[in-house]
Amino acid sequence: MRKRNKILLIVIASVLAVLFITPLLWMLSTSFKSDFEAIGGASFLPQQFTFDNYKSTLLDQTVPVFRWMFNSLFVGIAGVTIVLIIDSMAAYGLARLDVPFKKVLFPLFVSTLMIPWVITFLPLYQQFSNLGLLNTYAPLILPYSANAFGVFLLYQFFRAFPKELEEAARIDGANKWQIFIKVVLPSAKPILATLAIFTFMGIYNDFLWPLVVTSTPDMRTVTTGIAIMQQGSFVSSYGKLMALTTIATIPILIVFLIGQKSFIKGITQSGIK
Amino acid sequence: MKSKSKLSAFTSFLFVLPYLVMFILFLVAPLIYGIYISFHDWNLISPIRPFVGFENYTQIFTSGTSENKIFLNGLTNTLQFVVYSVPLLVVIGLLLAMLVNSLPSKIRGFFRTAYFLPYAISVSIIAVLWLWILDTNSGLMNNALQALGLNAIPWLTKLPYAWISIVIATVWWTIGFNMIIFINALNEVPEEMYEAADIDGATGFQKFIHITLPSIRPIMIFVIITSTIASFNVYGQPYLMTGGGPGDSTEVLLMGIVQQAFQLRQMGVASAMAMLMSLIMISISVGQFLLSRGKKGRGNEHA
Repeated sequence: MRKRNKILLIVIASVLAVLFITPLLWMLSTSFKSDFEAIGGASFLPQQFTFDNYKSTLLDQTVPVFRWMFNSLFVGIAGVTIVLIIDSMAAYGLARLDVPFKKVLFPLFVSTLMIPWVITFLPLYQQFSNLGLLNTYAPLILPYSANAFGVFLLYQFFRAFPKELEEAARIDGANKWQIFIKVVLPSAKPILATLAIFTFMGIYNDFLWPLVVTSTPDMRTVTTGIAIMQQGSFVSSYGKLMALTTIATIPILIVFLIGQKSFIKGITQSGIK
Repeated sequence: MKSKSKLSAFTSFLFVLPYLVMFILFLVAPLIYGIYISFHDWNLISPIRPFVGFENYTQIFTSGTSENKIFLNGLTNTLQFVVYSVPLLVVIGLLLAMLVNSLPSKIRGFFRTAYFLPYAISVSIIAVLWLWILDTNSGLMNNALQALGLNAIPWLTKLPYAWISIVIATVWWTIGFNMIIFINALNEVPEEMYEAADIDGATGFQKFIHITLPSIRPIMIFVIITSTIASFNVYGQPYLMTGGGPGDSTEVLLMGIVQQAFQLRQMGVASAMAMLMSLIMISISVGQFLLSRGKKGRGNEHA
């Protein structure tokens, strides 16, 4: 009886897994169909396998897909770098050093996690517009660095960091900065990796903000570029759209599959448990 | 001695300074600026932006104005989406977590990854993909229905299908995240509690109601609140999948705010709408939190 239950559960899980994966396979399959076949055919797999969608998408001057991927990657990495540096410094300072007003600052930072993102959306746009920085990398990178999530996450880690290691370094004559860089940061590598993945995915997948602050094809990110194509010249060509989305999906899926463990561990570490 | 501690406080403060600068520039400043803009007749391109007091807000609340229509229609539609999606995101997330946890440990990782995978993909890809799956004439969904001898369904152009489509795409996309959180929570429940219940002869359902649910309560509340916030911020799916249609029946509040700000160029009214949306979101989050605490308090009294 128990064994039969186990098998039943595996069957249910497998059916669900097929349902979850099918949309992605449909995307892949359509990308190898001609437009004629995609619109006319009822078959799941392509009857006449073609690379034309990839060729025309990659060669189309109006679809700078590699530029978009570069942009997404660049703003993601730049954003992550800034967040890791400033958040780790702030969190360490607040958790372990004699920062003036730290009893006020930390709750102030954390309380902003409650504030809905939409409240700063339009004024931020206006700020960048006033500075003439719309359609540059600045608005695609900088606003994410104000998020207090990283400070909150790292603060908990640094609070629990053993004092003895710092003490030993201090006796050896190291100053605060040396202790921070040589003793504290190396031990924080796993949690920093977690924060990096969270931040990268947040920036890479953001949609509305990059959509309004960019206006030329060369400044679009992958996410916004695809939306523009769907509403523009690719509107009736699902073969090309699926080739485009496949190209855009593969790198992030690879990153995700590699970083998955760290990501899942991060959810546990962030105090959500 | 005193100057030494002052110097130390100063060098320590330097650790916090870079984040503090970003925090002020990109969070505190826009927060204040947004309130300021909402009190002005603020045109996106005109430099003449007179102070109008609460007029933008009264405009939104005066029935018959276009601002009132955009705001109320958007809010109603957003709330509809929240009501449709959040229960599914929570319940299916928990069911998937329990399913994965009940599988033999060797194959657990595979299924966890399979359900979690769509979460990695960005919203525009999700929307474009589902647009194609749900295409009335040659999409996968209608192909499958017709193969079963059923009629094709206008998934994206008729109600209630337009909402069903947006909800399906959203659940498929984000459910994995909730599942992972629930898996973590389920693993934290002490095994001894189940063993004790087994000795008492409890059924699986009884164990679920009396052990599992109370144990994962805080996480459940967390998932409900974060799912509600995420659903409130819905934009990409209706914007790309239905374009707010049919008519304006899936035009959500964020779409209304974006339209007001960038098509009608009325930043003042749009900012006022954003303020109201934020207040509503904060009230709902606080309400959900207090409600859950209240219930817990009563439960403890009985115990």
